[in-house]
Amino acid sequence: MLFKQRRFLGLVCIVSVMALILTGCGGPSGPKETAGQQIIRYNASAEPQTLDPGMATGIPEMTIINAMFEGLTRYNNKNEPAPGIAESWTISPDGLTYTFKLRDARWSNGDPVTAQGFVDGWLRALDPKLASEYAYQLYYIKGAEEYNTGKGSDKDVAAKALDDKTLQVILKAPSPQFLGLTSFQTLFPVNSKVVSAHPDWIASPENYIGNGPFKMVSWDHNQVIKCVKNPNYWDAANVKLDELHFYLVDNNTTGFNMFKAGQLDIQYNVPIQEIAGLKGNPEFKIMPNMSSYFYRFNVTKKPFNDPRVRRALALAIDRQAIVRDVCKGEQLPAYAYIPFGVPEPGGGDFRKTGGDFFREDLDQARELLAGAGYPDGKGFPAVSIMYNNNDQHKAIAEAIQAMWKKNLNINVTLQNKEWQTYLNDMQNLNYDIVRASWTPDYMDAMTFADMFVTDGGNNLTGWSNKEYDRLIDAAKSTDAGNPKARVEDMHRSESILMEEMPIMPVYFYTQPILIKSSLKNVIIPPFGLEAEFKWAYVE
Amino acid sequence: MQYQQELFTPLNAPELAGEQMGRESPGYWSDVWRSLKKNRLALSGILIIIFLGIMAGIGPHLSGSAYDAQNLSLANRPPGGGYWFGTDSLGRDLFSRVWIGARISLTIGLFTSFICFFIGVLYGSVSAFIGGRVDDIMMRIVEVFYGIPFMLYVIVMMMALDTGLRAILIALGMVYWLDMARIVRGQVLSLKEQEFVLAARTLGAGTWRILTRHLIPNTMGPIIVTMTLLVPNAIFAEAFLSFLGLGVSAPMASWGSLASDGIQGLRSYPWQLFFPAFFISITMLAFNFLGDGLRDALDPRLRQ
Repeated sequence: MLFKQRRFLGLVCIVSVMALILTGCGGPSGPKETAGQQIIRYNASAEPQTLDPGMATGIPEMTIINAMFEGLTRYNNKNEPAPGIAESWTISPDGLTYTFKLRDARWSNGDPVTAQGFVDGWLRALDPKLASEYAYQLYYIKGAEEYNTGKGSDKDVAAKALDDKTLQVILKAPSPQFLGLTSFQTLFPVNSKVVSAHPDWIASPENYIGNGPFKMVSWDHNQVIKCVKNPNYWDAANVKLDELHFYLVDNNTTGFNMFKAGQLDIQYNVPIQEIAGLKGNPEFKIMPNMSSYFYRFNVTKKPFNDPRVRRALALAIDRQAIVRDVCKGEQLPAYAYIPFGVPEPGGGDFRKTGGDFFREDLDQARELLAGAGYPDGKGFPAVSIMYNNNDQHKAIAEAIQAMWKKNLNINVTLQNKEWQTYLNDMQNLNYDIVRASWTPDYMDAMTFADMFVTDGGNNLTGWSNKEYDRLIDAAKSTDAGNPKARVEDMHRSESILMEEMPIMPVYFYTQPILIKSSLKNVIIPPFGLEAEFKWAYVE
Repeated sequence: MQYQQELFTPLNAPELAGEQMGRESPGYWSDVWRSLKKNRLALSGILIIIFLGIMAGIGPHLSGSAYDAQNLSLANRPPGGGYWFGTDSLGRDLFSRVWIGARISLTIGLFTSFICFFIGVLYGSVSAFIGGRVDDIMMRIVEVFYGIPFMLYVIVMMMALDTGLRAILIALGMVYWLDMARIVRGQVLSLKEQEFVLAARTLGAGTWRILTRHLIPNTMGPIIVTMTLLVPNAIFAEAFLSFLGLGVSAPMASWGSLASDGIQGLRSYPWQLFFPAFFISITMLAFNFLGDGLRDALDPRLRQ
């Protein structure tokens, strides 16, 4: 999943900042009377593009949808997929057939949640007419890709409701990550009755029927989405919150000020410049985040078609200084691509087993650069670093620009782009160096590793390596049933990636957040969601 | 009546002292300058602009640290010590950056105003002087441009041109000439009916000559006022664009981008916003004072 940080745009925001400065308080609405009631006010940071589970792609959207929907599984506080609407499941020995047994669950309007509801939801997400960007999350299912790309029919998608409470899914190939994916928004069920009766059900709170712990009561655009506890939720007994408010304030500084003024209970994105002043504050926490921050090189272009140049640049930046003085959120300098926290079969950590692949070394970097024909940076072509409009990306790019100038005597320029232009240029390889990041779609190294296969949809560097392709292919097919061999394939593929360096790792993310001390059991997962509120309560 | 010759003596003075001018008659510009000097606000505006101009030239070299020299371990220092205005989040000297920013912002202001001068004056005067259908078409085009929200237009243009100083100059220059064109058109419309134009035409002057020699010089007053007031507008527009991240490319700084960086840490490091915002404000004031003063001084009806 692309790690997207939206930035505010428009006069409205500036005006609101001004208002904040002038009046010393601000935000869309005044403080609420919260005494005695179980209410959490969370800043979701942006007006959702859509709350359609089949369509949404952003993490903020996912956070809101997840509060009101539930898939077959739901991630628990140990980051493991635990029973959700499915109370149990069996996986055939060949790893291909999943049979889910559904519990007695109901939609927020009282309708029963059936196995057919899941099939409907999945077929809807795959429908070429809906054109969901995330349809590929269902491609593990046999016949799904064919249906989505118009080569097959919906009848051949191998997800069948055997009866009201039994769902059978047949996969194309064994995919250990599939179980985790059933907690993902694209694989949520839909209430077909509501969808066909109200085609605009997404937009109206009264028709937004979910099967999750909360249900929507109002949606003030660009201000707040208010949810209350869903009494029809199967596990309502364990939901302690009465109300959950998602504020949609997209300016981090405004959100920060609202938190300080007591108008928010959680501010997920903390302005970097304020972090230093928050150290030691009990409301400030640094949570782990399984995402990787890196720079892509366009290997189809001079000078980055030469691996020596790519390596030289990667060896010539001071990652410690970047995380300590620029990011300040206790991020980890990255000397490999796949971050910490990805589990291995047998209980290990993928990164700890894999270790570091390189060290920063100025002498070696200069030597490599000279070997590539640019001694002391002489003759190095004019290249630029492209980043999407965001203060942190800009600060990091400026720091790296200065380090390359100082250490290698090469000049690079900086180019900032709006999110859409940035995506377009990256997809068309219309760049020299581009900042990028990746956050996992599921808890497995494959979500990182299979990006860089030849012509992979998220490769975006033009890089191609036969051995790499072979290893990923083996991990997905011949070695799929053998966890040890599979993870070994991925370790070897990562070492090829770090040898050739079509990408330059910079750091592994953390997530600095502000959260009121009175809040308990709010889960801040390391990927996929910003926050999980099912078990949350206020003390 | 008889003349008595002896009562008269011939006057030998070759010139009549009484007919001599006491002093040179004040020309148009010296008259303007005289009334401008009496206007304290306008005068202080001029002094501030001169000061900013000088500092934009030498300011970046005064503190001894370059505007783009990073010292990550000295980030976010408050004003004092070696850093008169403190440092920013990457440990760069804010004093040098503010004056580099002045250079960029003033360049943008002045340049935009000159681009507008050329496009607007030419467009407006041609439209008015030729008149008829040409005037209709040319003015409808201006109105179409007016109809498009200005910022939208600039942002689209910057997307097409790639971000950077050149793009900002072109984008702002291409939108701000509209006012200028309208003002010049209005002036020329009223002037072209006057006798001196008829006289020039009778003497055989062509359209171009009448425009450049007779009409435009007579509209100079309003043009100069518009240009002066346009400078702060352009600076502010650039600040706004920088605020949206569309300004000059880093590590170059403009006042707008400095303010945009500064607001991130408003609570912890207020000086990072204060200095650029302060200089944007006084530049705005200075140019507006000057513009107001010039308007008074150039308008013959307001002169004593």
